[in-house]
Amino acid sequence: MPAILHQIKSCKGAPSEDWRAIAATLSRYVRARTNRTDVVEDVVQETLSRLVHQSRVQTLVSVYALGFRIAANLLIDHHRRDSRYVAEREEEPVSHAPLPDRVLVGRQEVAILRQALAAMPPLRRDVLVRRRLQGQSCAAIARELGLSPKAVEKHITRGLADLHKAMPGEACASGNVR
Amino acid sequence: MNRESQIAEEAAAWIDRINQPVFDAAAGPAFDAWMAASARHREVFADLQALWQSEALVEALNHAEGAPVAGLAPLASGARSARTWRTLPQFAAAACAMLLAIVLILPALSTTTYRTLAGKSRSVVLADGSRVDMSGDTELRVQILPWKRNAELVRGEVYFDVRHESARAFRVESGSTTVRVLGTAFNVDRQGPTRTAVAVYRGAVEVGVADQADLVLRKGDGARVVDGHVTAQPRIAVSAPDWKSGWFEASDIPLGVLIGKVQRYSARPILLQDAALQALPISGRFHVSDTDRVLKAVETAYHVDVAYGPKTIAIRPAGNAQDR
Repeated sequence: MPAILHQIKSCKGAPSEDWRAIAATLSRYVRARTNRTDVVEDVVQETLSRLVHQSRVQTLVSVYALGFRIAANLLIDHHRRDSRYVAEREEEPVSHAPLPDRVLVGRQEVAILRQALAAMPPLRRDVLVRRRLQGQSCAAIARELGLSPKAVEKHITRGLADLHKAMPGEACASGNVR
Repeated sequence: MNRESQIAEEAAAWIDRINQPVFDAAAGPAFDAWMAASARHREVFADLQALWQSEALVEALNHAEGAPVAGLAPLASGARSARTWRTLPQFAAAACAMLLAIVLILPALSTTTYRTLAGKSRSVVLADGSRVDMSGDTELRVQILPWKRNAELVRGEVYFDVRHESARAFRVESGSTTVRVLGTAFNVDRQGPTRTAVAVYRGAVEVGVADQADLVLRKGDGARVVDGHVTAQPRIAVSAPDWKSGWFEASDIPLGVLIGKVQRYSARPILLQDAALQALPISGRFHVSDTDRVLKAVETAYHVDVAYGPKTIAIRPAGNAQDR
């Protein structure tokens, strides 16, 4: 349980039950994006503390949506710091052989996703590429592919659900973090 | 549609709405309500959001067959998206994340399960570079994390050739038996729920059971753990485990264990239900990958009946078989 939760109980907004669920959800998300336990703890703590602060100064449109956004931004900050750290480390004379698992497990993940993408109808794949890779809006995709916006949404939804189904991960990810 | 895939589709629809450049304020309370409704909603959404933002997805999409390559995209759409990225900070942030994340691939902490069918063996190189050779009818769960390496032998037999890493031990669990290694080659044979045999071909391992002192095995040593008791085994001379060539050296082991090994090579279930027969001590060198030959040898040497049915093979005490 992140320590921040103890301070939240006095806050009058959402009951502490909700914060517990929010904390668990955010840790699950952050754990899926990084394999560094120290980063997970940092990011979740900081996200919660900012969320609590925000919820005190204004009424939040969506506490979950804001939470995910803050966590994503904090993850980027951590990655930046890490890349500097790695660059410094590489100049040290003592060098351990690089651990291939980071890259390899990433490889496995990519391979699974590629397979799932290959199994999709080409149109659905195209929609996902445009949305995620090229950052096109649903409206733009609909226009260019001659689809209705509803159909574009459906392709993204189905496509994402297919990708999710293809990923293993469930077994370990369901273990809850304190 | 089942419940689980319905949740996945609902979550995916939310992913699309939440990650729009301009978040629809009216959707906020509905999204929070959906998230609050069930723990499963929250789990699936968290997983999907991580997947959607992952660098792995970006890379997979880049490779997607028939996908328009970014450089070949129509100029108009390219210009439009470039403008969008500049004006919207969250998209710019996402772009940074994408670029940085491609450099630092951070995989999910997932457990990988490897399985083989009866009669099929398989060789796998794990994420840390270690190699595992799996015998038939074997299930191995592997978790390679930055700080530890774990494998669980659920059933069957595996030869491990572990890559040496001083900072990150490799642990194999087989029931209550734990084998701890640094870098070495060894074989773990799960002969039954409470029975495991370990043999070391290079380096050294520590074999431990819940609350017993660990036994250190060095190259050429073997040990057997039966019902929580560790016993050292005679030294092994060969350089690779017997099962790799389809053989099994039995010295005073229960018939049930031998049949378990034969079963790893036979698609037809072998039934051995008689408790006394299961415990019958067997010695000899058996070609376990040749089901018929082993059963014939056992039949002649130990006075049991082997009945070949259309779908199963039954082993019974001699004289009890009704069809002989």
